[in-house]
Amino acid sequence: MNLVITGRCKLTGSSVDECMDRLHGRIKPMRLLHTLERLVIAAIGGALDDAGIPLPVGTSAIGLYLGIDRAIEDIKDKYFLNILHEGMLGASPMLFPYTSPNALAAQASIAFDMRGESITMPINNSYMDVIRYSTFCVAGGYTEMAVAGGITMNCEALSLHEGRYRAEFFFIRGMRSVAERGAKIYHHIKAGRDEEYRFD
Amino acid sequence: MMTTVFVTGMGLVTPLRPFASVDMFWNALCSGEDAIRRMAPPMLDMEREWLMGGISTGDGVRAENKFCLIAEGALEMAIKDSGLEERASAGISVGTVLGNVLLKEKRLQVNGRNGIRQGSERESLSYITSHLAGKYGLKGPQFTVSTACASGTDAIGIAARTITDGRADVMVAGGVDVLSDFALIGFHALQALTGEKVRPFDKNRSGLALGEGAAFLVLESERHAVSRKARLYGRIRGYASRADANHLTGPHKEGRGLSDAIRAALSQARLSPHEVGYINAHGTGTIYNDLMETIAIKNVFRRTAYDIPISSTKSMLGHSFGAAGAIETICCLLSIRDNIVPPTINLVERDPECDLDYVPKIARHAIVKQAVSLSAGFGGQNAAIVVGEA
Repeated sequence: MNLVITGRCKLTGSSVDECMDRLHGRIKPMRLLHTLERLVIAAIGGALDDAGIPLPVGTSAIGLYLGIDRAIEDIKDKYFLNILHEGMLGASPMLFPYTSPNALAAQASIAFDMRGESITMPINNSYMDVIRYSTFCVAGGYTEMAVAGGITMNCEALSLHEGRYRAEFFFIRGMRSVAERGAKIYHHIKAGRDEEYRFD
Repeated sequence: MMTTVFVTGMGLVTPLRPFASVDMFWNALCSGEDAIRRMAPPMLDMEREWLMGGISTGDGVRAENKFCLIAEGALEMAIKDSGLEERASAGISVGTVLGNVLLKEKRLQVNGRNGIRQGSERESLSYITSHLAGKYGLKGPQFTVSTACASGTDAIGIAARTITDGRADVMVAGGVDVLSDFALIGFHALQALTGEKVRPFDKNRSGLALGEGAAFLVLESERHAVSRKARLYGRIRGYASRADANHLTGPHKEGRGLSDAIRAALSQARLSPHEVGYINAHGTGTIYNDLMETIAIKNVFRRTAYDIPISSTKSMLGHSFGAAGAIETICCLLSIRDNIVPPTINLVERDPECDLDYVPKIARHAIVKQAVSLSAGFGGQNAAIVVGEA
């Protein structure tokens, strides 16, 4: 099965607001506590928009595959330091759920009402493994379409708002369904002889 | 080319008979032994105790080394059990929620008040996967999965897909997590912890108890397993993950995501509801989870739901996060092997809204040819895995 990328979005924290404004009224109203949440939701929304997917999604047809590196560790450090400073009273029930790496994917699934697969993979340096896994899921028929990507360190010296992290997501689906719709194609992902999908 | 995925080895380290054999664990579990005790938090001096399913690693082991120790214990047990000698092409898939969080706790205790210092590589969640792969010579595909309390189930499902799709012949898959002050205080703040007994599906259930552990399975393609005449515990027949898309910490009240996951897994397994002989429930003992899970099972299985034995092994072990799904998948395979369904202990007074057959107090003999293990977690994560006889 040949796959194609039909949507993409790459953002840093400094460019989130503009993207969030474009999503206004099409995502579930929700309180977003962290810049990281806004970054992930804006980037996934950008990729879905770019692929021409009507929002909210409202089905289980799109799987969400997210790779995350050290970004979540900032939240974990803050949560535990509060406990060290103030004892049990320092434990924030608001912050605690965000110490689980899947919280960002979860908030995105809620915002866009995406009810399909939701897989978060901690990564070292690259989220290519996550994208590769998502391509296998589409090709294997485990999900019809996928939005896949990740969050990586952009520049450690910057604050979250200034662009400490960047998020990049791609929308992936089968070639046949795209050809029928005449949608734009950024990239072909072809199965090689070793069954690996290559980004050429 | 689709291939059948067999389970050829199993290993686990849990609060019940830790570091003993799988069979000793299973016998204790089916006897209804309760491993949950009052314990102090692992590192911080909080001057109080909580109910937890903890594993003692002896006085010579530092708390922050426990994570690797129990992961290695379970993985070694699984590889030895499988009799797998050539494993250079084998891959590994590990589910964990917090990773070696005790290492982070220690660093922040020592350095935190003077500002955050850079965490070490060993604190990262993917460290355990590369550590185990390096130590045991597993050079195939590597996955680290962190999908809250569904991590272990998802790690096994992802490994099974890797074999099914022909990307590996052998995968070692499972999960690991340890008790931490980090999680303990967080769940305390959410008022999710019980102060007395873990009573899944009971009218008076009052919350969960945290646990810890590690569990791994050796998965092999049919061709590989048959060619080396491996012992077959069973096969992975179906797996699916679904999001509730509803709330960050609470489950969907109608069990929408879990119902979808069960339906998709059964469809992949090409099974009808009446062919399922046992369901190992997520069964945490919280008001909302147990009710949601009951509704989800009824949504999928309809009238058949009342005829299927269902149990929560967390009533004896506590909730071990990333390890839970892997431990419970092993329980399903052992149920198929021995035709025994482990009990839900401490289930005394039936909740009128949880009216299925939860196998209260005492294990039961039952013909089990196919079993389903369910997992659900923070963020509306849901996963279902279907295992069957070989």
